[in-house]
Amino acid sequence: MAQSAEQRGEGASAGTARGWLRDARLIGVFVLRRVVALMVTVLIGVYLTIVVANMGGQVDELREIQIRSDISEAVRADPEIPAEERGELVERRVQMERERLNLDQPFVIRSVDYLRRAIMLDLGRAEQMHSDLGSRQVYAIITERLPATILLFGTANMLVFFASIFAALGLSRRYGSLTDRTVIGLAPTSAAPGWFYGIFLILVFAFIVPVLPSGGMVAVPPPESPWAYALSVMRHMVLPVTAMFISSIFISIYSWRTFFLIHSSEDYVEMARAKGLPSGMIERRYILRPTLPPIITSFLLMLIGLWSGAIILEQVFNWPGLGTLLFQAIGHRDTPVIIGGVVIFAYLLALTVFLLDFLYAILDPRVRVGFEGGER
Amino acid sequence: MTPIPERLLHRLRALAAVLMIAGAGSAGAEPVAPGAPQFDAGDRRGGLLDEIVFSTEPDTGKVVGLIEDGTYQLFAQGITNQTIFQRIRESERIEHDLSYGSSVELTFNPSGPEFESGELNPFAVPEIREAMNWLVDRRHIAEEIYGGLARPRYMVVGTATPDYAGLAAEAREIELRYQPDPRRAEDVITREMEALGAEMAGGRWHHEGAPVTLRVLIRNDDIRRQVGDYVANRLEDIGFGVERMYRDAEESSRIWIGGDPAAGQWHVYTGSWVSIVVSRDTATNFDFYYTPRGRAEPLWQAYDPAPEFDEVSERLSRGDYGDLDERAGMMARALELSMRDSARVWLVDQIQVGPRAADLGVSVDLAGGVRGSQLWPLTAHRGDTPGGSARFAMPSLLTEPWNPVAGTNWLFDRMVLRALDDSAALPDPFTGLFRPQRIAEAELTVETGTPVTKSLDWLELGQADEILVPDDAWLAWDGEEGRFLSVAEAGEDGLRARTRSRIVFEDGYFDRRWHDGTTVSPADLLISYALTFARADPDSPLFDPSHVPAFESFERHFRGLRILSTDPLTVEVYSDQITPDAETIVARRAPGTLPWHVMALAIMAEESGELAFSSDQADRLGAEWLSLVSGPSLGVLDRMRERAAAQDHVPFAALLGAHLDEGEISERYAALADWRAERGHYQIGDGPYYLHSVYPVQGALVLRHFEDFPDPADKWLDFTRPPIPAVALDGPMMVPDGEAARFEIEVSSAGEPYPAEDIATAEFLLFDGDGALMERGAAEPRGAGLWEVALSADQVAGLGRGANSLEVVVTSRHVAMPVFASFAFATVPEGTQKLQ
Repeated sequence: MAQSAEQRGEGASAGTARGWLRDARLIGVFVLRRVVALMVTVLIGVYLTIVVANMGGQVDELREIQIRSDISEAVRADPEIPAEERGELVERRVQMERERLNLDQPFVIRSVDYLRRAIMLDLGRAEQMHSDLGSRQVYAIITERLPATILLFGTANMLVFFASIFAALGLSRRYGSLTDRTVIGLAPTSAAPGWFYGIFLILVFAFIVPVLPSGGMVAVPPPESPWAYALSVMRHMVLPVTAMFISSIFISIYSWRTFFLIHSSEDYVEMARAKGLPSGMIERRYILRPTLPPIITSFLLMLIGLWSGAIILEQVFNWPGLGTLLFQAIGHRDTPVIIGGVVIFAYLLALTVFLLDFLYAILDPRVRVGFEGGER
Repeated sequence: MTPIPERLLHRLRALAAVLMIAGAGSAGAEPVAPGAPQFDAGDRRGGLLDEIVFSTEPDTGKVVGLIEDGTYQLFAQGITNQTIFQRIRESERIEHDLSYGSSVELTFNPSGPEFESGELNPFAVPEIREAMNWLVDRRHIAEEIYGGLARPRYMVVGTATPDYAGLAAEAREIELRYQPDPRRAEDVITREMEALGAEMAGGRWHHEGAPVTLRVLIRNDDIRRQVGDYVANRLEDIGFGVERMYRDAEESSRIWIGGDPAAGQWHVYTGSWVSIVVSRDTATNFDFYYTPRGRAEPLWQAYDPAPEFDEVSERLSRGDYGDLDERAGMMARALELSMRDSARVWLVDQIQVGPRAADLGVSVDLAGGVRGSQLWPLTAHRGDTPGGSARFAMPSLLTEPWNPVAGTNWLFDRMVLRALDDSAALPDPFTGLFRPQRIAEAELTVETGTPVTKSLDWLELGQADEILVPDDAWLAWDGEEGRFLSVAEAGEDGLRARTRSRIVFEDGYFDRRWHDGTTVSPADLLISYALTFARADPDSPLFDPSHVPAFESFERHFRGLRILSTDPLTVEVYSDQITPDAETIVARRAPGTLPWHVMALAIMAEESGELAFSSDQADRLGAEWLSLVSGPSLGVLDRMRERAAAQDHVPFAALLGAHLDEGEISERYAALADWRAERGHYQIGDGPYYLHSVYPVQGALVLRHFEDFPDPADKWLDFTRPPIPAVALDGPMMVPDGEAARFEIEVSSAGEPYPAEDIATAEFLLFDGDGALMERGAAEPRGAGLWEVALSADQVAGLGRGANSLEVVVTSRHVAMPVFASFAFATVPEGTQKLQ
């Protein structure tokens, strides 16, 4: 018996080992397929961006016209250059600029080169732009604006996210109450974007009752003490954060509240209520837990959404963020900066989607990897 | 007494009303007092403010609120929005300055008269283009579309330029000739269209059976949208079909400037041009705007000016005239011919409003506003005492890296940099004429017959049959040895030049201080020249191909440099470069300085391939573009500074070494290290303000008063307000036959009489009832601010009976903007009862 138990034990452990191996193989194949699929998606997305940003190569023509015009006017504005010498000087400088920007190469070749470097995360040098500090490295240009963007949009989005989750949970318990009806009634206010509220907030709180700054990230000149600096940044954040909060909070509460309402009427929740479990426990175990995957998905997408900033809101509040940067890059047709912004976003998105597959499996026991049913 | 005929009275009143409006409008800017504001600078030196803070604020919509609440005292960006301008005018806490640097015109496609498609292009015919001058009403555009933020402009010469002021009488005559006259326009166009084989059918022009449709390319990103619509409406009124093509800058540039005009994608484009300084010499404008020599693009190559116009344009462009009288005659002729050609019909000079706090005074350039003003750092002040701080808002800051060799050229960066550096001479913001800043005296000698004149007394102008360049003058560069080669060494004995500028700098020029406390030395002067040559030398580690084209242009005219003395600094510069103003030639030839110890680090960094002076070189080397104020450059410069200090390194040692005192090298590097530790950057200048701190990401920087600046703080305060004259013209409304008439001109500024010696010209033009010019002459001074036009009985008789107009053109010596006034009067039969 002992021997057979031992044999069974060995058999079991061998079976377990085979099980692990099989699981590992399944996971490996799954990971590989997901990585390949995501990489192909990133490749297509980035290449489309390159083509669109260059209008399929037509931007070259516009840039050449712009280059020639700029140089012609610069040369003409220089009184030291005699009129009869301007033509030759313009031509030479135009040719140099064409060479600098590789405009003498066909766009197709340049587009493949852009793509190769983008996928390798070799962001390279900007063609026209500089970081505020004066660097032409795309990496420096982007990372310089990142903290300001994360600070403003991170704060606003976190506030909106958590405030709306908790408010929605509460409202889902008070379905039909005055508060619930008020929030639903206010949801259409989110049709207006944050910058729209921003303009009114600036008018009221910066000009009519001038208690807050109308724009910028910090007082000018910036305070030298770190505490005073932080305080000044917080003061400057009040209006833009409020504008974003007002424009998002009601629709966010409304959608989460509807989501929680649907889950609150599931049989297992009704059963829990029938058993007389406390409402806090029902919320945590029977509503929040099963709805965690979509909440986390939403949270992570919100986080990577910070990457793009918000062009108009940043303009209205003169906030030095990534939105303004990308807007300027589009204006300058600075392809490396546009691609840099997009490729990092694409990688972040792909990574998030990839991680979510695993998070779902951890959070939701129903999600498993298998051959027969494929991914469930 | 004979009663005045009712018809005549009616015409007279109507004419008077029109001219009163015209006179009020053409007087332009509100009159301001000449001279310095009431200000006691005491014994203060340099800038009048203790601190100036710059920060970015791109939204002009906030301008009124932010100045009223004290956040800012000045917006550097010009305002063109009428609503904002109205609010600025209504605000008691905001003052404003006006500048006139941008213009709007109609660019015609001259190709044809048939495009490649066979479509008719009426604008290939100069007469039809010329008729457009009568079809459009510039005053309507200026006053209704631009809401008063524009002045009518008829000619290629801008209305705020010395050339316009110098040719004011001729210009006025042309302007009156091209007053709106839609019927005349229609007559000319009808005649020419029929000559082209077109016919009017059903109120629409047809050509070869198809309606004639004009494509008007209208810029939709500014107020030119309304201008384009107005022009399109006028063309529709006279029977053309119009296709309105609304496009932004990029889309339109591909069509009008990038495309082949013969392809017929467009007929008319609403163009615009910008100038940020008062242009002293507009003689090249004809060649640029109307001939194929202007630019290489297809549109310019399609220009086919009349032979006489082509020749006079080309000669003006080359400066091919014997003297300034000949030039003036050629300019007047070219103006006439350009109106007949009308490849462009000029519409308005746009006025930009520069808002500032009521207690802030500053010198503003007539063309470029405060952002184009060279004198703003030396005149900006608050209230009536020195000191205090001011905040300036700009749409952008630190747009490109700052370095003095090939750094940022952005308008607003340059504006800040002007406060950090001193100059040998500075341009007058109202005339563009250079005045001395560090120059004590100067002598310009030009070859006999060279058309150069001087307007100011700070320099002497002479002529010589031959100007020989001395053998010991520096001419070329020896890259290997790092020194200049003399004319003799370069084998150029007997070299001649068209001009010699002998410039004596003020005493104590080399006692001045850099911002880091070190003393300016001759080495600072020489390094600037050395860099100019070394960067163009293919054997030099500093060789920068992008510098070569500009250097070659310089080299073609540079004929030598001699330093005659360093105490006082006296230099001689030989050159073939000519401009009509002697002041400009001397100012351009005067050498400047760069702190050699800062340049030493930059040179080492470029030689090591880590940094580059120019953007092109940076891209070529894969290095960072040198910035003295922020970013990765600072770390590299730190390392170079340590290395340079350890080695007592002197750049171009063979040249500079002889001019450095013992101990100066280590003293400079020590001061630089202290400066970097204290200020956090390497931007060192000798201007009235120093760069105290930089906040690149936050878009702000702080300038502080530089105590060691040598000049009294009120030196340039006379240039705070443009003394534009206000002109009032009065006289009899009726002049009987056989009687003489006197008309009184009152010239003032801010209610004070304008000194007669400050008036350059006061001319009159007399037109009869048909608009024909009958008389022209000079007004006579008659006491403080008073001038008189006296018409003899014969002159009056020559007018015939009817309504006439007297036009007066006044130009000041202190401002490049003529002022006009008009007066309508009637010549009536003897014995007619006079109107009072």
